[in-house]
Amino acid sequence: MKLDRRFLLRGTCQGALAVMGLPFLDCFLDNKGQALAATGKRIPTRFNTFFYGLGLTKSLWVPKGAGRNYETTEQLKPLEAFKQKMNVFSGSRVMIDDNPNFQHWSGVGASATGMSPSKNGQFDSKTIDQTIADVISRGARFKSIAAACAGDPKQSYSSLGGPNNLPAEASPLSLYTRLFGSGFQDPSRTDWKPNPEIMLQQSVLSVVAEDRKRVTQRLGASDQARLDQYFTSVRESEQQIAAELKRPDIEAKVEIPTAPEEMTVNSALPNMRKVLPLMARLGALALATDQTRVFNLSISEPGSQMFVPGDPLGYHQSTHEEPLDPVLAYQPRVARYNVYSMELFAAFLKELDAIPEGDGTLLDHSLVYGFTDVAFAKIHALDGIPVLIAGSASGRMKTGHHIVGEGSPVSRVGLTVQKAMGLSVDSWGGGSMETKSPYTELLA
Amino acid sequence: MRKGISVAILTAGILAGVGQLPAMAAGGEVVSMRRLTEQEYRNSIGDIFGKDIVVQGVFEPGKRIGGLIEASAAILSVTPVGFDSYSKMADSIAVQATSEKARDRLIFCKPGSASQPDDACAAQTFNHYGRMLFRRPLTSDELQSRVKLAANMTKASGSFYTGLRYGLASLLQSSNFLFRVEVAVPRDNGYTLDAYSRAARLSYLFWNTTPDAELLKAAQTNALDTSAGIATQVDRLMASPRLDTGMRAFFSDMLQLDNFDNVSKDSLLYPKWSVQLAAAAREETLRTAITLALHENGDMRELMTTPKTYINRNLAAIYGVPFDFDADWVPLTFTPQQGRSGIVTQISMLSMFSHPGRSSPTERGVALMDIFLCEPTPTPPANVDFSAVNNTDDPLKTVRERLMAHATNPACASCHTHSDPIGLSLEGFDTIGRPRSTENGKLIDVSATIQGKSFVGAQGLGRFLHDNPKYPACVARKLYSYAKGVDSEDVKAREFKAATKAFGDSGYRMRSLLKDMTQSDEFFHAEPPLAAAKTTKLASQ
Amino acid sequence: MILQKHLLAFSSATAILACLSQPAVSAPWVRGFVVGTYEPAFRYGGRTGYARAGEIEPGSDCIHGNTIHFSNSEQIRRALSFQPWRSPEEIKIVSTLPGLEQAKTPDQARFMIWDRAMSYRGWRHGIETYINPFAAQDPGQPEVVSRIGDGFNLDGKIGAHDFVSPDGEKGIDNALYRAWGCDAPWRGNGNATLDMRSNDKMQEGLYTMVIRISGNQDPMNDKDATLEIGYSPDKIVKDARGIVTTDFSYRIAKTAQYTKMKARVANGVVETEQVAELHAPRIAWFYDHAGDAEFHQGRIRLAIDADGNAKGVIGGYRSWRDIYAQNTFAQDGGQQGVREHEDGVALYYALRRNADGMRDSKTGQNMGISTAYRITAAAAYVVDASKPAEITALAPEEKRREAYLRIVNNMKKATTTRIVQDVTPGTSEGAYPNMERDITGLPIADYLLKTLDRPHFDDPPGPQASK
Repeated sequence: MKLDRRFLLRGTCQGALAVMGLPFLDCFLDNKGQALAATGKRIPTRFNTFFYGLGLTKSLWVPKGAGRNYETTEQLKPLEAFKQKMNVFSGSRVMIDDNPNFQHWSGVGASATGMSPSKNGQFDSKTIDQTIADVISRGARFKSIAAACAGDPKQSYSSLGGPNNLPAEASPLSLYTRLFGSGFQDPSRTDWKPNPEIMLQQSVLSVVAEDRKRVTQRLGASDQARLDQYFTSVRESEQQIAAELKRPDIEAKVEIPTAPEEMTVNSALPNMRKVLPLMARLGALALATDQTRVFNLSISEPGSQMFVPGDPLGYHQSTHEEPLDPVLAYQPRVARYNVYSMELFAAFLKELDAIPEGDGTLLDHSLVYGFTDVAFAKIHALDGIPVLIAGSASGRMKTGHHIVGEGSPVSRVGLTVQKAMGLSVDSWGGGSMETKSPYTELLA
Repeated sequence: MRKGISVAILTAGILAGVGQLPAMAAGGEVVSMRRLTEQEYRNSIGDIFGKDIVVQGVFEPGKRIGGLIEASAAILSVTPVGFDSYSKMADSIAVQATSEKARDRLIFCKPGSASQPDDACAAQTFNHYGRMLFRRPLTSDELQSRVKLAANMTKASGSFYTGLRYGLASLLQSSNFLFRVEVAVPRDNGYTLDAYSRAARLSYLFWNTTPDAELLKAAQTNALDTSAGIATQVDRLMASPRLDTGMRAFFSDMLQLDNFDNVSKDSLLYPKWSVQLAAAAREETLRTAITLALHENGDMRELMTTPKTYINRNLAAIYGVPFDFDADWVPLTFTPQQGRSGIVTQISMLSMFSHPGRSSPTERGVALMDIFLCEPTPTPPANVDFSAVNNTDDPLKTVRERLMAHATNPACASCHTHSDPIGLSLEGFDTIGRPRSTENGKLIDVSATIQGKSFVGAQGLGRFLHDNPKYPACVARKLYSYAKGVDSEDVKAREFKAATKAFGDSGYRMRSLLKDMTQSDEFFHAEPPLAAAKTTKLASQ
Repeated sequence: MILQKHLLAFSSATAILACLSQPAVSAPWVRGFVVGTYEPAFRYGGRTGYARAGEIEPGSDCIHGNTIHFSNSEQIRRALSFQPWRSPEEIKIVSTLPGLEQAKTPDQARFMIWDRAMSYRGWRHGIETYINPFAAQDPGQPEVVSRIGDGFNLDGKIGAHDFVSPDGEKGIDNALYRAWGCDAPWRGNGNATLDMRSNDKMQEGLYTMVIRISGNQDPMNDKDATLEIGYSPDKIVKDARGIVTTDFSYRIAKTAQYTKMKARVANGVVETEQVAELHAPRIAWFYDHAGDAEFHQGRIRLAIDADGNAKGVIGGYRSWRDIYAQNTFAQDGGQQGVREHEDGVALYYALRRNADGMRDSKTGQNMGISTAYRITAAAAYVVDASKPAEITALAPEEKRREAYLRIVNNMKKATTTRIVQDVTPGTSEGAYPNMERDITGLPIADYLLKTLDRPHFDDPPGPQASK
C-alpha cells in the first residue's frame, strides 16, 4: 500500500474519515451530550412520549412552508413558546399492507412501532419508548414510567409487544407515590449502588484493550495510526462505563413537593387541565432526579373521550357527528378540541422546560415524541398523520423545522428519533413501513 | 526489502516475550488492515453464528476512493461512536449465541457445571469461534485472556454461559475481527500474502463473507501456497451460487448504487418517484449485471448495449409497460424504438446522477466516465458562475445550449468537453429515467462527440462504450482494486495486464477475468509499508 | 453535427404533420383504469357559501337541506314518541339524560344510550328496529325534489318521476338519489362524510376496482369494443402527492365481481350495452360489507380524457334491501344513525317507496331500486394474471363478515315475511353490551338498565366498539 497525497485525506469532523496526526482525537470525540451537570458530570438524555387522540385539523395545523422559517399556524399557536425547540412532521403516511385498517388503532401502532398492527389494540413489537429505554435507562431506578391524565391505567402506549401495555399511573397521587414514596433513593445518599451489568462490560473492554500489545509491532505508520484510533475508541468506551459506575451526580435544582391531594381524574377538560400539569411536573422531577429516563404521558384513549362539561357531544363524537362547515371546510368544534390537546401538550413541555440543568433545561436534554391515532378523525383517515417532537436530545437533534413527509412512512420519524437518542439502529419498522432513511437534515 | 529485514529484526526483539502469531512466518508484516463493510460484517456473522442471529446497529459509512468504497476500508478506522456501536452489537450477538435456544446449536461442549467455570469447554469454544472471527487461529495469549475473562465473569454472575458470552463479546469487538488484517511474508524478490490472508481475500472477493471451513483448512495445510491449491479453491468458490453475493457487492460498489441512499426527487414534478422505486431501480441494475456476468457468462461489453432488463411492478409503471405478475421480478426486453441501451439508460444510472428537479448531463457524464472508463473528472474551479447554466428563462432553452456556453470558455472547456457529451446523449431521458423528446417546448438534440467519435442518443453512446477498449480495461482495473482494497487511480496497469488480456481473449467474460486475476502472481503480491522504521517508536506507547 | 441537428428537427416535424393529416390506423387497442373514487351519483343543489349550524344547507335538491336525526334531545324525543308503549317519563329521561355529566365518559354514554333507544322503536317492546324496520312507524324521509339527476334510462321509458340528465336526456332512472339524496352522510359538495370515508378506505387498500376497455378499431371511436370490470387483488398505489398514480399494473380477477360487456366508443366516450347482471365491486368502508354491487340491467358510461384518465357513471337496479343492509349493518343501525344523523327506518321506507325495478312476479313487489354511481379512474395497465389471482381474505375480519351476513339474512327474512326476527350474535347491533358498560356512574343507570333492556340471546361478549 502506498503512502502519498491520496492517503492524507482532507477529513471532516462530521464524517467518519480518518485524519492523520493530531489533534484528531478532538475531532472524533462525540460532542453531543457534553452538557455537564452542576458537578461536572454528563447529563443523560431523556425520552418522553405524549399521546393525544384524534389528531388535528389539516387546514389549520400544517404550516405553509417547509424548513426552519415556517409560519406558526392556528393549531400550533399554543406551542409557540417552544417553536424553536420543536420539529413538526406533516404528510406522513401509514401503510397497512395486508393488515386490517383498525380505526383508531392502526395509526397508534404505526406511530409507536413503525409497523401496522395485525391485531386490534395490540402492538406487533416493542414500542419506541421501550426500545429507547433498553439503551438509555441503564442505571436509573425505573426503566420507564407511564401516566394517564384521564385516569385510566389502560391508557398507556408503552408495550413490550403483544396484548399487554405497561400500565399507567392514573392519578397524581399514585404517580407521586410510585416515584417519591418509599423506595425513593435520594441520589445524594451514600448507599447508592451501581448497575452490576456495567461492571461486567468493563472487564470485557480491558481484554479487548489487551489485544493492543500484540498487534502494534509490525504495522506501517498509517495502519498504526488507525489502530491507535481504534484503541482510543475502546478507551472512550471504558471511560463512559466508568462514569456510569459512579453514582449519578445530577444535582438538579429541584425540590420534591409534598404529596398531591386526591382529586377527580377523568376526561373532563377542566379536570385534565388540573391533573396534567401535576403529572407533568412529577414526571419532570423524576427525570431530573434520575428516577427514570423515560416518561410516557397520555391524555386520552385512541378516539379521545375528552369532553367539556355541559356539552354532551364530546370530542370523539364531535369528530364523527359534526359536519364540515361548508364555508370553513373544517369542523369548528372539533378544531377547538384539537387546540385543547395542543394546550395540554404545551403544559407538559412547560414543566420540562422549567427545570434548569447544566447549560439548558430538562427539555433541551430530552426528546418528546408527540403522536396520535389518526390524521382526519371523521373518516379515520391515516394519510398525513401528524407527529410533533420537542427537545433537542442534548443537541443531537436540530430543531425548529417543519418537515413535509410527501407520503413517506411515519416510521421515518421514529427512526430519526432513535438515532438522535444515540441508539445504534440502522432500520426501524416493518412491512412497507420498514425504513432505513431517517430525516438526516435533523440529525446534528 | 532491506528495510523490511532490519525492521523485522528490530521487531522480533519486541515480539519476544509478548507471544507470536503461529500463522505468521518470521518477518511477516501487516500490509493492510481493511475494516469490514456492513455487508461483510453481516455476512460473516451470519455464516459463523447462523442466520437466526439478529444484527442491529449503525455502521460507519465508507468513502469512495478511486470510484470504490472498498478502497476506503483500508484507510478508515473506527471512531468512538462507531466503536460504541460495534461494542453493543458484539454484546448482542454474544447474548444471542449463548442463549438457551442457541446453545445446543452453537456451543459444542457442555460445562461440568452450569454455574462454575469450565476452562476446557470455554477454551474449546473460543478456539473454534476465535479462529473463524479472526480468520486465523488464536494465539495462546489471545486464548488465555478470554478463558480467564470467562472464568471471572462466571464467578461474578454464577453462570457459565454468561462467562462465555463476555468472552465471545470480547472477540467480536476486537480489532482482529473488525479489520481484515492482511499479513505478507517475504517470498522470492518481494512480499506475498500469507496463507490465511489469502483465504480471506479470496473469500471476501468471491462470496463477500468470512472464509468457510474448507478455505481455512486449505490455509492451514499450506494448500494456498501453490497455484494448484489456489486454483482448486477459486474453482470451488466460483462454482457456488454464493458467487452472486460477492459479485453483487462488487457491482454495487463499482456502479455506485449506494448513491440511492441520497437521491431525492421533487415530488411535485416527479410524484411517481418513491423510496420503493429507488430500491427497485437498484435491484434492476444488479440483476442485469449479475445475469450477464455470471448466469449467462456473457460478453460484458453488452452491459452497455443490451435491451434486456428486469422489472418489478413499480419499475413497470416508470418504464410504461404492463407487468404480468408472474413473479416479483420478470425479464423485459426493450424494443429498439424505446431508445434504451444497457445499463446506461436504466433508471438507476439516469436518476442517481441527476438533480431533484432536472436532469444533469454534466453529472451523468462525469459519473459514467468515472465508472466505466476509469476517467474521473477534476472538481470545478472555485470561482465558477453557475447562473447562466441554470437559468431556464434564458433564450437558451435546453440544457444543451446552456452547457455549450462552456465550450467557449477555455477554463471550463477542458473538463466539460471531456464529460458533457456523454450526458448530452442521454438527454432523451428525464431525471427519473423516463423518455422525453422536448425540453421547454424545444426538441432535444441528443448528438454528441467525444474523444473524436460522434454518435447520437443513448444507443449511440452504448455502442461507443461497447467498442471502447478503455471500458474492459476499466472493469479489470476496478475489480483488481476492489479485491485488493486499493485506490484504482494508483494501481499500475501492468499489475493486471495479463488479466485484462485474458478478459479480452475470453470474449470479455467476467468469470475468465475473475479466474485469471485471482490466479495471477500479482494478486497476492504486496508491498511492505514504507514507513516501517517508525513502527518501533509508536509501538512502545 | 450541425447537419445532423437539422435532419433530426426535420424528421420530427414531418412526423408531427403526418399525425395531424391522416386518420388513425385501425389496430387492436387496450386501455386500462384503476378506480380512485366511487360514490353514489347524487347532485348537490345547496347554495355554495351557505351554512346554518353547518348542518342544513337547503337547495334545489333538498328544500330543507340535509335531513337530520338524533342529533339533539328534541329529535330523540320525537323519535321515541312514536312508540305507544313508552311512558312519558321514559321518553323524557332517555331524551334529556339528566345527570349525564356524572358518567365517566358522558360523550360515550349519551351515544350508547341513544344507540340502544333508537334500536328499539317497534310497535311493541322488544323488536329490534333495524332488523325489523317494517315494525316501526315511518318517520318520513324528505326526498330530492329537483328534476336534474345523473344516471341512465334503465327501463327505456320516460317516467313522470324520472330525472333529466344535465345534458338534457330524459327518463333518467336514479330512484336511489330521489330516496336518499337528502340523507346527511351522503349529501355534500364533495365533502359528504360517507363518500370521503369510503373513498379513503378504498384508496388505503380495502379493495381495488379496475376497468379494461379494448377494441380493434380506434380507442376514440370504435363500434365494437369490449369493457371488462372487476376486482383486483393488487393494492392501489398513491404517489408522493397522495393521488392515485397512473401507469401501474393491476390484475383483473375473474371472480364473482367480474363482468364483460360490449361497448361502443364515440369521440372518447364509452357506452356499454345494458346487461341483465352487471357484477362489480360495491362501495364499502369496512371489510365486512364489501362485495358485489350486483347491478341488474346494468350499464357503464366512461369519458376518457387526453391524459388517459377516465370519469363516468355505472348504474343499474340494485336490491334495495342490500343497499339498506350495507348502509345499516356495516357497524350497527343505532351507531350509524346517531353518528351520521340518519334514521335507518326512514331510509328503509324511502327505499321501499321508491323501489322501481327487479319485480318479483310472485308478490308483484319491486325488489330493486334504480341507482347510479360516479367513478373517476386513473390510467393503468389492467392485465390478466397467468396464475389465478385470488382475493386476499383477512382472517381476523372474516368472522365479522360472517356476522354481518347473518344479520343481513335475518333482516331480509324479516322484511319479506314480516315476521319479527331476532338480533343475531357477533355484531354490536342493539348496542349490547356497550350501553351497559358505558352508563356506569350515571344516576339513571339502573333506570336505563330496566327500561332499555332488550331480549337477550346467546351472544358472545366483546363486539365492536363504537366509532
